[in-house]
Amino acid sequence: MTQKLGQEQVEEKETQYEYTPQGPGLDTRQHMTTSYGHKPLIDQVTNGWRGDVKIPEDSGDYEPGFCDIEDEGSCPNVSRDIVRSRRFRRMLALVVVAAILAYYAWQAYLRPRLLEDWEFKEGFMSGRGNGTYGMARSGDFDGTAIKDIDAALVPGGKADHDGKRRLVFIGDIHGCKKELLHLLDKIDFDSAKDHLIATGDVVSKGPDSAGVLDELIRIGAESVRGNHEDRLVEAAKTMLDDDVDVPSAAITSKGSSKDAALLKHMKPRHLRFLHDMPLMLRIPALPLAKHPGKHHIAEEITVIHAGLVPHVPLEKQDPYFVMNMRSIDHKTHVPSALHETKKGNSKPWFNIWNWYQDRIDRGRSVDGFHVYSYAEWLGKQASHGWFEKVRHVLPSKHNDKVTPQVAVYGHDSKMGLQLHRWSKGLDSACVSGGHLTAMVLDAKGKTEITSVKCKNYK
Amino acid sequence: MRLPFSILLSCFLFSPKGGLADAPYDQVQDNPTWSHQNLDDVRADKYFHESTFAEHYDGRFGDRKLNYDERRGHLTALMQTYISTMNDIGAETWIMHGSLLGWYWSRKILPWDSDVDAMVSEQSIHHLAAYHNMTVHTFNLHNDDAEDNSHRSYLLEINPHYVNSSLDEVNKIDARWIDTTTGLFIDVTTLRRNATADALGIDGSMMVKDRHHYNYDDIFPLRHTTFEGYPVKVPFMYADILIEEYGEKALSDVYFENHIFDAELREWRPLRYAELNLYQNDGAVMDAHYWAMSIASLYSPD
Repeated sequence: MTQKLGQEQVEEKETQYEYTPQGPGLDTRQHMTTSYGHKPLIDQVTNGWRGDVKIPEDSGDYEPGFCDIEDEGSCPNVSRDIVRSRRFRRMLALVVVAAILAYYAWQAYLRPRLLEDWEFKEGFMSGRGNGTYGMARSGDFDGTAIKDIDAALVPGGKADHDGKRRLVFIGDIHGCKKELLHLLDKIDFDSAKDHLIATGDVVSKGPDSAGVLDELIRIGAESVRGNHEDRLVEAAKTMLDDDVDVPSAAITSKGSSKDAALLKHMKPRHLRFLHDMPLMLRIPALPLAKHPGKHHIAEEITVIHAGLVPHVPLEKQDPYFVMNMRSIDHKTHVPSALHETKKGNSKPWFNIWNWYQDRIDRGRSVDGFHVYSYAEWLGKQASHGWFEKVRHVLPSKHNDKVTPQVAVYGHDSKMGLQLHRWSKGLDSACVSGGHLTAMVLDAKGKTEITSVKCKNYK
Repeated sequence: MRLPFSILLSCFLFSPKGGLADAPYDQVQDNPTWSHQNLDDVRADKYFHESTFAEHYDGRFGDRKLNYDERRGHLTALMQTYISTMNDIGAETWIMHGSLLGWYWSRKILPWDSDVDAMVSEQSIHHLAAYHNMTVHTFNLHNDDAEDNSHRSYLLEINPHYVNSSLDEVNKIDARWIDTTTGLFIDVTTLRRNATADALGIDGSMMVKDRHHYNYDDIFPLRHTTFEGYPVKVPFMYADILIEEYGEKALSDVYFENHIFDAELREWRPLRYAELNLYQNDGAVMDAHYWAMSIASLYSPD
């Protein structure tokens, strides 16, 4: 039955699906041999498309690529030609020489400068290390810590419209009365219009401490407290009783027994004068001073005995260090009475002080520097908007709250006279045979240095 | 005076190794129930001994190491009673080392400190040894955590080796002020003339038996100030002494031993757990986190 059906189907197919295979798209399933004598359709497949494709043959020429060595215009060959050329070699030699010069310039000049600048800067940067000086409670001061000078004594101030007054700063006097009188004579000191400010250590070591105090009291002078005055004031609390003998140097020390002997000779007015000495004396910017520079002071002046740590508010300075410091650790800004501590990171305090005052004088920002109170920190948080940030990048003539100040001090006889733009060190080692130095400041802000030679009292 | 034989025999039998040692437990205490003193030290001449459970405790009076808060409270009382007694006696004493550092930062003992350090002058130690050795001073302390709101007694014990001025490995401490309730104590050392330096003609050289050396002018004249609310004396050149002993970072680091110095309160306090993460993960960043952390104690309930 199937066979008959198949034949019928085939016959039907023949009539219905009559088509001739042409071109591509041939259904290859229809390659069964049919009984009606047509050629197999496969034979009618022409494969005409084969002619379009190029078959790469193994032999024969090929197109050279970009990096082939054989071709003249290829990259390696062109490069080789350039390198061999004279012009190129000349240029190369110049570049090498310039690179060597640049390297040495960097090593010898730029890098040390940058390193030094960084050494100055790093102690100020918050975010470096665990903390900074100025946070601890530190020591006590028995007396007035910060005193503002009497307004009537300011040259060019309210009481001196003509600008006739002068301020005279004198370094460590150490009881050298003769030299003091000689110096006052040399600068034509007139107690009616001149005011003497001593930088501390007016007593001890020298021949006539009580005499110096009497002279200072007589001319109405004032002084800041130095480390030797500090010793006397402290010792006076226990050593003044009549039944306390002066202990000998054998069980104490030479300095201590001398101080004790000195105390026994002092009168109440001397002790009162010593106790009245403040830790720091502030002098406002002179109203008539116009051209600030190395020999002119037009800014606020702070007088202390030994030194100040820059950027730390005056109230946070440790009184002990204000009376004793000679150096600062440049990483933590912790001062020291020594010139160099065990750690080896010490720098003279006035170098860092001058660097800092210069920076704020030029209007460079102190963002990123330490802050010392919560209120100050809140203020900084407020100025973190994008506009404030842009404003701070541009140097401004005057930085908002921080103004530079000049420090006048003594204490360091080893460094001697140190006159810089922002710090004036006036201890020229009088008591050990050096000089006694005075800096005279007039109403226009001009400073003049005068010295007299001293005898060696050591 | 002839001592009865029984007393002599008991002294011989009960003294360790036959040398001088701190007063035997049964003569000074009956609470704790037995002595925790470490008497096994082979060095015969060592007078003061420490407990078996911790270094800074006297085993005759304490039986356990105190926790952080208890220790702070007891150390403060220890310091205050010592100062008060020395002022009453008129003995010249001043604080040194760790206590001086605590004074510098906050006028209080540093919270992580486990002992208190004080020094006396040679005159003072002679006076104390002659008239106040083995005296017990009882105080009525009014504490907020009032478990023992009653009396506390303190023993002043002087090391007989104080007369010996040469360097001594085992007897560096000249006196102890001991809290008989807990066994905490204050180590008291004497500032002496440095005889060898004097012989060489060096001016004002002083020494202590624990190998510290000072200049007379570094310490004297002593400054009058306060510590833990009581009047004390500190050395004249306190800051340079601290730098010499502990380095500059001791005067500037505001993070130490998981504590932070709160600059507004001007006190050290322990870091809270969240702050500890901040500190450890972000590093010790001054300013940015410091001020935020610093006022945390003022503005959040503890």
